[in-house]
Amino acid sequence: MTNLLVIKELIVGFFSRFEAYIVAVLKFILAMIALLLINADLGYMQKINNGAIVLIVSLLCSFLPMNLIVIIMAAFILLHVYALSLECAVIVAMIFVIMFVLYFRFSPKDACAVILTPICYMLKIPYVVPLTLGFVGTPMSCVSVACGTVTYFMLGYIKDNSDQLAKSGNDPEAALGSFKYIIDGLLGSDKMLLMVIAFAVVVVAVYMIKSLPLDHSWKIALGLGVVVNILVILIGCTALDVEMSVGGVFVGTIFSALIVFAIQFFVFNVDYSRTENVQFEDDEYYYYVKAIPKLSVEAKDVSIMRMSYRDDDYEDDDDGLDYI
Amino acid sequence: MLNEDRIALMTKMAAYESGQGKRDISVSGFFRGDYISFQVLKSALCATVGFALVVAMYILYDLEGFLTDFYKMDVAAFVRDIAVKYAVVLVIYLLISYLVYAYRFSKAKKHMKKYLSELKQLEEMYDWE
Repeated sequence: MTNLLVIKELIVGFFSRFEAYIVAVLKFILAMIALLLINADLGYMQKINNGAIVLIVSLLCSFLPMNLIVIIMAAFILLHVYALSLECAVIVAMIFVIMFVLYFRFSPKDACAVILTPICYMLKIPYVVPLTLGFVGTPMSCVSVACGTVTYFMLGYIKDNSDQLAKSGNDPEAALGSFKYIIDGLLGSDKMLLMVIAFAVVVVAVYMIKSLPLDHSWKIALGLGVVVNILVILIGCTALDVEMSVGGVFVGTIFSALIVFAIQFFVFNVDYSRTENVQFEDDEYYYYVKAIPKLSVEAKDVSIMRMSYRDDDYEDDDDGLDYI
Repeated sequence: MLNEDRIALMTKMAAYESGQGKRDISVSGFFRGDYISFQVLKSALCATVGFALVVAMYILYDLEGFLTDFYKMDVAAFVRDIAVKYAVVLVIYLLISYLVYAYRFSKAKKHMKKYLSELKQLEEMYDWE
């Protein structure tokens, strides 16, 4: 446990000092993974299905706000779909605008979740996102998870039916009738509906439970979030006649909960106070202040460990922070 | 002479002003009613755009049938039907918007109250000197 606390403390210290660079690198990695997945799944427009373009756009994304990154990803998807079929691109564009209208009004701070949801689906751990957002977001974060889920299922449908969609685009007479086929395919998935409902319920349930004034409310919220997720999906499967592997849901949810538990330990319980660079003035001075957050809580835990078997060392050690 | 306590307080306040405080300060510049009405109005605009797109998708869904039946259909009844659905969607959307923005306003006010008390504290520090 002490080692974990030390690791946590190291991460906090590292993050506090190099926050600006770490955030840029994380954005770069996130954008690159998302673009590579989009290109691997769709990849119909050869001009943008190119490693150099992906690299340049990812580098650009590392300096852009998260919401702009979401729009760039949507533009990439639209360009690929446009290269496949104009009708499909029209419908996908409409769905994106409807989602953005909801998303930018209610949860514009959860851009990360919109991108991470499809990525987590591809890694078979989609339950991580609603469980995490229940802790760090608000009930309105369910809009972001819903947007990510719809995007994932749309990508899956387009990938699986690309031949059919491409054919409809070549025949102008068939094009009018093809809208029905595309809309049915893109939005008619019962599984997508079930996942959107389940994730919305999980986000709201976890948020409400963790907000209760109880001891260990975060752990209770995580446990009940797991139960709610499994129950809603199983009931939904029966009600909507959706086929899903029960074992997959159990294993996926529990594995996701373990990941969320780890994230909780390293991220949620820690005050990642930023290193602040601020400027202000009074009547006498201009102040240019760099405020670095103090690291103090974990030092006590480490001191306790040392006392148990190295009393002499403890007496010499005045602050317990030397090793960090 | 430099007063360390005062600098610490000013730093804390400046950090808040450049982060979350930016939004809180702009929100608290409104009266509650004005802020919520403005946000609800923006939501109404978004809901209208969203609903228009849903209607467009509904028409595109069976475009051939729609074009064939267009001259035979009761246009007034069709428009009335759409208008009723629009009204229902708008009411639900605006109700959710009202609740969300009322909550955000009260949260911003709470933060601003703390900020103003710190401002007062700072003023007292200057007076004391």
